[in-house]
Amino acid sequence: MSKLRFFWEQSWLLLVSSLIFGVLLAMADAALAPRIKRNETEKFTRLAGGMLPEAVRFEPVEPKIAVTASNGKTVEVEVYRGLDEQGRTAGWAFACEGGGFSDKIKLVVGVDGRFEKLAGFGVLSSNETPGFGDKITIPGGFFQKQFVGAPADKLTLVKAGRPEQIDAEIVAITGATVTSQAVVDILNTYVLAIRSALKEQGLLN
Amino acid sequence: MLSKIIVSPAPHISENLTTRRLMADVIIGLAPAVIAAGIFFRYRALAVIGVCVLSCLVSEWVCNRLRHKPNSLGDLSAVVTGLILALSLPPAVPYSIAVIGSVFAIVIVKMLFGGLGSNVFNPAMAARVFLTASFGVAMTTWKVPATVDPTMPEIKPSNVEAVTQATPLAWSKMALKGQAKAEEVNRQIREAFWGNVGGCIGETSAAALLLGGLYLLVRRTITFHIPLAVLLSTGIFALVGWLLKPQVFARPDFHLVSGGLMLGAFFIATDPVTTPLSVRGKWLFGAGVGLLVMLIRVVGEYPEGVMFSVLIMNSLTPLIDRLCHSVPAGGKPNV
Amino acid sequence: MAENQTSVGKSFLAGLWDENPVLRLILGMCPTLAVTTSLQAALTMGASVIFVLICSNLVVSAMRNLLKPHLRILMFTLTIAAFVTIADLFLKAYQPEMSAKLGPYIPLIIVNCIIICRAEACASKNGLLVSLADALGMGLGFTGALTVLAVIRELLATGQIVFTFSRSFTLIRLPDVPLFRMAGMAMPVGAFLTLGLMLGLVKLLTTKRA
Repeated sequence: MSKLRFFWEQSWLLLVSSLIFGVLLAMADAALAPRIKRNETEKFTRLAGGMLPEAVRFEPVEPKIAVTASNGKTVEVEVYRGLDEQGRTAGWAFACEGGGFSDKIKLVVGVDGRFEKLAGFGVLSSNETPGFGDKITIPGGFFQKQFVGAPADKLTLVKAGRPEQIDAEIVAITGATVTSQAVVDILNTYVLAIRSALKEQGLLN
Repeated sequence: MLSKIIVSPAPHISENLTTRRLMADVIIGLAPAVIAAGIFFRYRALAVIGVCVLSCLVSEWVCNRLRHKPNSLGDLSAVVTGLILALSLPPAVPYSIAVIGSVFAIVIVKMLFGGLGSNVFNPAMAARVFLTASFGVAMTTWKVPATVDPTMPEIKPSNVEAVTQATPLAWSKMALKGQAKAEEVNRQIREAFWGNVGGCIGETSAAALLLGGLYLLVRRTITFHIPLAVLLSTGIFALVGWLLKPQVFARPDFHLVSGGLMLGAFFIATDPVTTPLSVRGKWLFGAGVGLLVMLIRVVGEYPEGVMFSVLIMNSLTPLIDRLCHSVPAGGKPNV
Repeated sequence: MAENQTSVGKSFLAGLWDENPVLRLILGMCPTLAVTTSLQAALTMGASVIFVLICSNLVVSAMRNLLKPHLRILMFTLTIAAFVTIADLFLKAYQPEMSAKLGPYIPLIIVNCIIICRAEACASKNGLLVSLADALGMGLGFTGALTVLAVIRELLATGQIVFTFSRSFTLIRLPDVPLFRMAGMAMPVGAFLTLGLMLGLVKLLTTKRA
């Protein structure tokens, strides 16, 4: 009995304030969570909508598509079908990620309606070397431009070449080969897996 | 007719060995490389060398003035720093970048640490790393030597981010990734030895650097330990790779004559300030540089690793010195 | 516990220069080096630290007479963690770009030594008013040092100062010469160089005056 009393005397402040702070955090989270969720979807639709200008709204494809990433882990990817004003498929968009040079790179990838050509990619988050690897984040930069219209098939990275020629060969950023390779790898992994999964589901012919 | 007898402590026998003489010898040793640079890259290379030397001298003078220290231009060490920095820059480098590098080498790496003798890192190499980190494109844009194609215009593609002129080491990197054959790389050994290839201003001609290095050895400005250790360990590690997979790895003699290895072995890794003092320490230092060079060239992402290797070993120098403590005659090591 | 008779104005001014957390006490080096790649990131970090510092100083000062000495660090950490989490959620909701850019550095304010140092050295020994003044002074001193570092680094690395809300606003744009495009200044090496030179300069100024 005296032990319990000693325990309470010593720690009541800690216990009470834990409770108070817990309630405070729960309130803050409840107040801000919807806005945080909205920010995330807004960023996704802004990036995806920029790549697929005809799409007016995005609908998630059910069920989620399982993709085996290069590290052997299986991730569930939510693929969105972009619909134009007449309700036809204007394109597909999905978020994907993979290991970069210094940290994970998270991308949004857009593909055209028949899943034949890439509509480009946008960077959700990356932490690549300033001045080199972070050139992948420049919208409309020479690196991103190479993907707009490139075949939605296996891409290869080359060190030197003609970036203005849109084909399956992607010219690396000088000084950032690892980052460039990472982007190409992410696209190769996800685009091919999602294409075959969509075909299986009968959403593509 | 001595009117006074002077009492002075030992040493009584002094040699006529001053910093100024040492540095003058290094400058003479670098002369063949400078001449080779003039032949291969014409006035552009000489202009870069001039800009680097001049801005090193000016920065040293300004630093001494600000710190109220006596003028130290006379020891010629700033000239050597400027020369080595310039020789390790690409020939097409903009002059302003050369100036930034020189100021960085002298002000940040040398004078802020206390001037000649107190700097931890080799100033020229530390500056080159900063430039590589800051100006990736300018620092990896190579020009074909004028002797190969005098009409060759400066490389100014519409998109500089994508195009680089391949140096022998870039070829070697491509061979490692299966994009070229090792034979094609080995065919460049002869040209790389004489210097008729793309690369840094003063690193292309192994012959000129070897000549200057031998001069330094003959003059006893440097001892043979570090250069020999660097070349030996680079050669041995390259040999291991070549014996294992000759179709992927270039021959050891290719690795010896290409890139900045000769310049590094004779002129950079022998900098008396930032390298170990004892003979055993020098062997260790040189072997470490060679190992790191081969690791970076073969495993790393950069085609060349001399500057990183020298800097990493520079940072280990105090530890090596402690490891190789010499025992005073008749006593125990004073650790 | 006897109240220390520290004046409010004095404890406010101390944080700005004489006991500036970054430049004199060398505290909070992790965010100082990591987030000063851009002015906007530095200001966001500074504002978050000011917010957490004020809240934790006030709470700690209010409960200072109830603290059990051997449990006090636990209490400090709990208080700080709660307010840092609130700041993090707030940034995620209203400054999503900055929150993504600062990444783990906002949650890491929990282990920022400035805040626990002020709780231990000031708030747990002084009244509410002094603690508040101390939090404001320290927070502003921290933000000021970060601002100077960030302006230097962002200008030398990119040649411009950009603020990004939902769109980007360029405040300053310098000519496109290599001196203002040193990507190395945006890397960790640039942070160490700039901070080192700044500390040297401060030392020079203070020793001359003394």
